[in-house]
Amino acid sequence: MLSIFGNSKPAQGIDEHEKLSLFVDLNSREMKIVDGFMHERNYLKNEVIFDEGEEGQAIYFIRTGKVLICHQGQTAQAIALLERGNFFGELALLDDAPRAAQARAAEDCTLAVFFRGDFFVLMHSHALIASKIALQLARHLGVRLRGAVRKQQELV
Amino acid sequence: MNRERYRSGPLVWLAILGATCLLLFLFQKILWLVVPFLLALIAYYLLFPLQQRLILGGMSRDSSATLVSGGAFTLATGVMLLAFPWISSHLVSWQDSGARYIEGGLRFIAESLAWAERNYTFAAKAHLSEQLTRQISELGDKFAGTYLAEAALTAAAWLPSLLLAPFLAFFFLRDGWRFKMFLSRAVPNAFFERTLYLLDQVERTAQLYFQGLIKLTLLDTLCLACGLWLIGVSTPLALGLMTAVLAWVPYVGSILGCLLVVLVAATDFPGDPAMAYAAIALCVWVRLLDDFFFMQITIGRSLKLHPLLTVVMIFVGGAVAGVAGLMLVLPLLGVVMVLGQTVGGIVTDPRLRARHVFAKELRHRQVTRDLHS
Repeated sequence: MLSIFGNSKPAQGIDEHEKLSLFVDLNSREMKIVDGFMHERNYLKNEVIFDEGEEGQAIYFIRTGKVLICHQGQTAQAIALLERGNFFGELALLDDAPRAAQARAAEDCTLAVFFRGDFFVLMHSHALIASKIALQLARHLGVRLRGAVRKQQELV
Repeated sequence: MNRERYRSGPLVWLAILGATCLLLFLFQKILWLVVPFLLALIAYYLLFPLQQRLILGGMSRDSSATLVSGGAFTLATGVMLLAFPWISSHLVSWQDSGARYIEGGLRFIAESLAWAERNYTFAAKAHLSEQLTRQISELGDKFAGTYLAEAALTAAAWLPSLLLAPFLAFFFLRDGWRFKMFLSRAVPNAFFERTLYLLDQVERTAQLYFQGLIKLTLLDTLCLACGLWLIGVSTPLALGLMTAVLAWVPYVGSILGCLLVVLVAATDFPGDPAMAYAAIALCVWVRLLDDFFFMQITIGRSLKLHPLLTVVMIFVGGAVAGVAGLMLVLPLLGVVMVLGQTVGGIVTDPRLRARHVFAKELRHRQVTRDLHS
């Protein structure tokens, strides 16, 4: 009967590389809970994933392919070129502030998407899982902040 | 590039209100399916946290859904089977109590009318007390033959559809997430985030509404039970709970609940009409608390509706679909409002539409690449 929903398995296991970044503290049972919230999307080369200034709703994990992060209309001056195992749009997990840059598929790619609403559901239903993710996210943002400060000091 | 947050215009709002009325009309026609669906939703929201705990404990989604629904169904069946002998043994005394309470209530009304006839000439001229006694006597003669058989037939017709509720709740638990994924996969990439947001908001609105309703019922029960206990009316907790559950039907339910309380108060204190008036005052006070305080912190907050719109739509719901419309109009409006605002936001966003067209072109180019060579 459920065949009408097609291939309805949750997005298949987030790979080890991704686990190292955001889900490193989660055990396999906790990962099963998170997997249930993951959506899988396929993008073609040059397809826009999200625009700069758009209200952010989700964080993206690169499963295959490459993603270009740039300012709108400035694809030649890339801010970053992300590969398999990287994630982007992480600030959307915290609030619905506008996206700071545009994300485009640099080649055909498959992404796993984790929605902020589901993260809030996790905070209510599985506070431990949500706090582990939040801790990793805070560490990641801390690393980025220190990097930005170091860059600024080098410039000065 | 910061885009302004979308605000619905008059056309979108007209569409939202029109769609709500149309759905209410349709739902009234398939009430046999809507009621078990709502009961199943309530059961789903109650059982979902338990299912999540089992998944965290290492169980698969399907097994946990089967275990949780099976457990709840077995528990409910067990409670009913255990309660059956007790209910049978108390049925006669309940029937006697019911008759006693109705008699007490009628006596209270007759005494109140007699008092009005003694004190006011217009009431004396209208012979209200005499008319009421005659009408009640006529109703009593016809009741068993006309209404009782009809009520029994309606209950028998509803029973099979109510049995759908546990069945639906099981499938919500087992396949709810599959359905959500199925819906989100059907959405083009350009509209994906907005649609996820929509699904989340619809689910959140429904969840908050039902949770708010349960909280409101608990608050009403506590307030009424305390008030009735202070007045000295018998079985205050059960009476408070029944009145609070009846209040799920806006307006009509509150009046029915108030009548119930007055019947019991008038029977408990036959020679003291002041107690019945105190019970009426208590019901009005709790109703006011509901409207101005409790509803704001429970249901009102979940739906984020303007108070004027809420009241107008309750009347519209009643006019379109009767008692069912009164009950369904607010949650339905909440869901349709979220749907309308999100669809309005997508349709009126030229950038999203342009991205969708661009993605379609890319896909077309990809699948036709070899055709031109």
